Amino acid sequence: MDYKGLAEQLVNKCVKKGADLAEVYIESGRNLSIEVRNGEIETVQESATHGVGFRVFVQGRMAFSSCNDFTENALNNAIESAIRFAVNTTPDENNVLPDDKGLTQVEGLYDPQISQIPMEKKIELAKKVEKLAMKDPRITKSSGASYSEGEGEVFIANSNGLLKSSKESGCGFGVSVVAEKDDQKSTGGESCSRRFYADLKPPEEIADKAARDAYEMLDPRMIKTQKAAVIFDPDVARSVLGGILAAVNGERVLQGASFLRDKMDQKIASELVTIIDDATRPKGMRSRPFDGEGVPTQRRVIVDKGVLKGFMYNTIVAKRAGVKSTGNASRGGFTSIPGIGAHGFYMEAGQSSPQDIISATKVGLLLKGITGYGINPVNGNFSGGASGFWIENGKIAFPVKGLTVAGNAFEMFNGIDMVGNDLDLNRSFTAPTFRIKLLQIGGE
Amino acid sequence: MKFKKYFVEGIPRRKFLEASLKGGIALAATPSLMMQLLSCKGVEKGSAKIAVDPQVLDRVIQKALEKGGEFADVYLENRISREILMEESKFKSAVFGISQGAGVRVISGDKTGFAYTDDITEEKMMRAAEIASFVAKNGQSVGPVKVKKGSRESYVTVKLPLGAVADEKRIDVMKRANQAALDYDSRIQMASISYYDEVRGRTVANSEGLLLSDELPLLFFIVQTLGVGNNTRHMGRERLSRHSGFEMFDEVIPEEVARTCARESIVMLEAKDAPAGIMDVVMQNGWGGVLVHEAVGHPLEGDVIARQTGVFTGKLGKKVASDVFTMVDDGTLPNFRGTTNFDDEGTQMKRNVLIQDGVLVKYMTDVLSAKQLKMERTGNGRRESFRYIPIPRMTNTFIEKGKDKPEDILASTKSGLFVQSLSGGSVNPVTGMFNFTCREAYLIEDGKKTLPVKGATLIGSCLDVISNIDAVGDDLDFGPGICGKGQAAEVAAGQPTVRIRGINVGGSRARR
Repeated sequence: MDYKGLAEQLVNKCVKKGADLAEVYIESGRNLSIEVRNGEIETVQESATHGVGFRVFVQGRMAFSSCNDFTENALNNAIESAIRFAVNTTPDENNVLPDDKGLTQVEGLYDPQISQIPMEKKIELAKKVEKLAMKDPRITKSSGASYSEGEGEVFIANSNGLLKSSKESGCGFGVSVVAEKDDQKSTGGESCSRRFYADLKPPEEIADKAARDAYEMLDPRMIKTQKAAVIFDPDVARSVLGGILAAVNGERVLQGASFLRDKMDQKIASELVTIIDDATRPKGMRSRPFDGEGVPTQRRVIVDKGVLKGFMYNTIVAKRAGVKSTGNASRGGFTSIPGIGAHGFYMEAGQSSPQDIISATKVGLLLKGITGYGINPVNGNFSGGASGFWIENGKIAFPVKGLTVAGNAFEMFNGIDMVGNDLDLNRSFTAPTFRIKLLQIGGE
Repeated sequence: MKFKKYFVEGIPRRKFLEASLKGGIALAATPSLMMQLLSCKGVEKGSAKIAVDPQVLDRVIQKALEKGGEFADVYLENRISREILMEESKFKSAVFGISQGAGVRVISGDKTGFAYTDDITEEKMMRAAEIASFVAKNGQSVGPVKVKKGSRESYVTVKLPLGAVADEKRIDVMKRANQAALDYDSRIQMASISYYDEVRGRTVANSEGLLLSDELPLLFFIVQTLGVGNNTRHMGRERLSRHSGFEMFDEVIPEEVARTCARESIVMLEAKDAPAGIMDVVMQNGWGGVLVHEAVGHPLEGDVIARQTGVFTGKLGKKVASDVFTMVDDGTLPNFRGTTNFDDEGTQMKRNVLIQDGVLVKYMTDVLSAKQLKMERTGNGRRESFRYIPIPRMTNTFIEKGKDKPEDILASTKSGLFVQSLSGGSVNPVTGMFNFTCREAYLIEDGKKTLPVKGATLIGSCLDVISNIDAVGDDLDFGPGICGKGQAAEVAAGQPTVRIRGINVGGSRARR
C-alpha cells in the first residue's frame, strides 16, 4: 500500500470535511515473537498490522481519532468522528502543528537482513541461550528464553505541508532462570536488543549474566537500618534517571507538577553529573530522524556538570512556554495523541572504574535491584525496595535482599561523588556505575 | 528478557505499562506497534456486535488444526472508545478510537501458536490460522467440533448504554469533578480529570464447538489533583471504574470522587519523613487489596504453577497462611471492573476461593494451564485485545472479610504504620518478593493514627506476609486498577482492614 500518498490524501480529506489544521499518522509493521522453555517451543506469535491516527483542529479545538480498518468507509467515519468530537474541547491559541520540513540524518535504523534470517535460526538462538544459562549446577529451573523482532514504518503528514517517513527495525533475545538452594529461590535474567541482527551479543554473554544474577544472590543476609554509601549498578540507573526525565517534561513544569519547575540554569546535582538526550546516535535503539509529530530530533544536554539546562517540549507545549519544540513529541502508537518523552536518555561516563568505586567504599550497598516507582516527579521523594551486595572495607562481603532505600532527589543528585567509566549506550535509560555518598537504608 | 514483573497501578495518564526499573522487557523495537497497550479501542453508535458466519469460523478452526494440535480458537473483537482529558480547567483533548480484529490460536501439547489480523475477513483469518498452525507440525491431532451458538449468564447490566449517551453528559461530569476539586481547598492548584469509556464486542469460537458473543461496556474516571504547600507538593489520585452504563455517575457522584482526591492532596502536604525498618502495618479497607493481588494472586496464576517455577508450586492443600486469611477471586461480582460475562476464552465466570482459612485450595487457570495441570478451568483466561494470547489473569481479587472491628485493630496496634491507600506495586512470582508504594500513610502511635508520612515503599515476601496477617476486619471494600503482565487487564482489588505484623518500610529516616 502507498501509505505516503494515502497520508497526504487523508490530510486533504480532513481539511475538506471541516478541519482547519490536520495531521495524519500512519504506522505499519510486523512482529515475531518466539518463547522457548526447557528446550521446547512454548509460543510462536507472528503478525502484521497497520493503523492510522487523525489529529484535527477546528477553530482552535483539538480532537483525535484512530482506526485500523483502511476501507474508505472506515477512514471517513474516523475523520468525521474526530471533527465531531472536537466541539467538546476548549479552543487554545497554542494548538498548532509543526512545519519544520527538516530531517535529522540518523544512520543504521533499519536492518533488511532480519526478515531474511530463517525462523529456525532464531528458535535456535533462544534455545541456545537457555541451554547455556542452565549450565551452572546452581541454576535449577528455566523461566523461559525468548527471541523477538519487529519492523515498522511511520508516515506523518500534516496540513502545513509536512510529509515524512521513517523505517526502523529491532530484534532481541534474552533468558530468565531460577537458582535454588534448600528453600531459597533466586531469579536472574538478561536480554540484549539491537537494530541489527548481526550486532546481537553472543548468547554466552547473556546466559552468563542471567545465571550469575540468580546464583550470586543466594544466601542473602539482612543488615541493620542505617545511613551508608549506595553504589548504583547500571542495572538500576533507570530508578534515578526516570525521575529526572519526568520532571523535565515541559508540560509538568508549566503545571507546577515538577520538582525541577523553577530550577533552570541552577545547580541541581554534583558537577560529576551530565545528562544527555540523544536521538542521533547511529544504530541507537531510541534514535530517530523526527519525533512523534514530525519535528527533527537532536542531541541535547539536559544537565551540564550538575546544572539544569533543558526541559523537553512537543509543539503545543513549546508554544505555550514561548520556546521552540525540542523534538520530544512522543507517541504511544497510532492510537494516541503526542505526549512528551525522551529518546536516548543517559548519564555521561566518568573516570572511575566500577572496581575503584567499590574499593573506595568502606561500608555501603552495591545496589543491583530496585523496585517501586523511583523518584516522585512532583516532589522529588524517593523510596524503593533494594537488593544487591553489602560492601565492607572496599570489598564485596555478602548479598543482601529485602532492604529499602529512600531519600530526596536533590539530596541524591548532589550526593553523587563518584561516576564510573562503564557506560553502555546500547541500553536504554542508561548510566555508568555511580555512588551516592549517603542514603537511608532500611533493614532490621 | 528480564524477569517479568507483574504490577498493578492506577493509571498514569498516557502510559499504562511502564517497563520495570531494571530495564524492563523492552525487547525488539518498533516501539509503538509492539507496545500496543490499552490502545485499541472500540464502538461508535452503541453497538460493537460483530456479525460473522459460524461456517466461516468452522473453516478457520479447521484450518488452524490442519497440521495437528488438540485445541484452536478464534477471538474476534470490535472496540469503540472515547477518552476526554480536562486539565487546568480546559478540555485539552478528545480521543476517539475504533479498533477491530481477530486472533487465531492453536495449542499442540505445551506449544501455542498465535497470529492476528486487523481485517475480519475469511481470507485474512485463514492466513492467521495457517501461521498459528506452525507450532502443531507433527503434533497429536484432534478434529474440531462444529461451533454452536451458546450463551452465558450475564453479570453486567446496563441502564444507560454508553453508545446512547450524549457527549455533553460526559463533559458535564468532568466539569463537576473539576469544580468540586478546586472548591475543596485553595491549595488545590490544579485538577486533571480523565474520562474513558469503551464498548468491547467479543466473539469467541473454539474447536470444542463453543460460540459465544457479547458486548462489554467499561467506564474509567480518574481525578488527580495537585496540592501546593509551603515546602512540598502532592499529586493525589482517585479512580472510579465499572463495567456499567453511564448510570455509574448516579450511584457515585463525580464531586465525591474529586473531594476524596483533593483531601489526599491536602493532607499529604503535611507529610513528614517516614521511618525506615521493620514494623507492624495496618492497612485500611479498599484498594489496599492490591497487596494480596500482587503478593499472593500472581503467584497463584496457573502459568507459573504449570512451569513449576511459582512460589506456590506443590503447595495445594497445604497451610500457607494464617487461619484468619481467606482469599477469593470472583469474576461474577455485578458490574465490577474485573467482572465479565465469560472470560476471553469463553469459560464461565466463577467465584473461586483460592485460600480458605489459610489453606491453599485452588489455582487460577486458563485453557492451557488447566490442561497442563489437569485442573478445572476457572474463568481466568483473559487478553488485552485480539493482538494478545489469553493468559491466566485475576478478575476481582480480595481478602474475605473477617470478624474484627477496624477500630479495634488500630487501637490494639501499639506502634507502626497505618496505610490508608497504596499507589500500586509489583511482585516477582517466582521468589514471591513484592513491593508497594504508599500513597497515603500515617504513623501509628499508641494505637492511634497520628502524623501523615511521605510515600514509603513496603517490601516483603508473600509467604511471610500472609502468615503474619493476624487481624482481619469486617469492612470489605474494593478499588479499581490496571494489572500489567506483559498485557494490561482491568481488575478490582479489595480487602477489609487488616494488620500485618512486621513488614519492611522504606522510609527516609531512622526510627525514633
